[in-house]
Amino acid sequence: MNTRLLMTLRANVSAPQIIGGVPHGTRRTVPLNGGDFDGPRLRGIVVPEGSADWLLQRADGVLELDLRVTLLTHDGALISMRSFGLRHGPPDVMAAIARGEKVDPATYYFRTTPRFETAHPAYSFLNRIVAVASGDRRAEGPIYTIDEVL
Amino acid sequence: MNTRPLMLLRLTTAATQEIGLTPRGALFIFPIVGGSFEGERLRGKVLPGGGDCVTATRDGAYELDLRATLETDDGALIHLTFSGVRDDVNRYFRTLPRFETAAPAYDFLNRLLAVGIGEIRDGGPIHIIEELL
Repeated sequence: MNTRLLMTLRANVSAPQIIGGVPHGTRRTVPLNGGDFDGPRLRGIVVPEGSADWLLQRADGVLELDLRVTLLTHDGALISMRSFGLRHGPPDVMAAIARGEKVDPATYYFRTTPRFETAHPAYSFLNRIVAVASGDRRAEGPIYTIDEVL
Repeated sequence: MNTRPLMLLRLTTAATQEIGLTPRGALFIFPIVGGSFEGERLRGKVLPGGGDCVTATRDGAYELDLRATLETDDGALIHLTFSGVRDDVNRYFRTLPRFETAAPAYDFLNRLLAVGIGEIRDGGPIHIIEELL
């Protein structure tokens, strides 16, 4: 697989809505209150309205993430991003993350697979690519390094 | 991002069902009748009964939505799904496979994400699937 850097995306999160135990696991919804993205071909901000991460903690210790974000480029294009991901690691590492500590992202698995939709001609290439991302969960929110799969 | 080879997947399909132009686009169903997969950690066959729901998008590419059941040579069943893009103009055929299994020997599949590099071959499409490390 060959890749090319697409962007670094930083999402700022608000307090989660703890839905609780549901048939598939433990559900929580995490609203985004802002953020930004920057890359060789695009940059801008996270639009908080309509952006959140729908999380499901599975019984096997794996967290499933279903992130939907609206991005606004510096030149006014709206991009809808959707990204499914998995996060898991040793219990003590995951507990440190939950406490808001700064944890080396190499010590846990946090990978997502973004897809994009836009109507803006300058960014239409995003509609036809798949991407992969590596996450770094900081206290303020995750930082994603997103690569286009070539 | 580092990757590790997971499998080479070959799919055999039956005649395409052309649903036609629906509100979401031109829809084609590719029924899966068989196939095989092989890799260092697992190998076996593709069971009949899955399919790929392919929607032709307005910009000339295809959105893929595949489900299939894999059976390993030691009898484990694995549920495979993938979404993806096929853009023949730009020679881009890439998928995002996901796996679910109850077999303990293959539980690692439940915990990884992967990328598939697709190629069109005469006998049907093949996918070189790599685990995201």
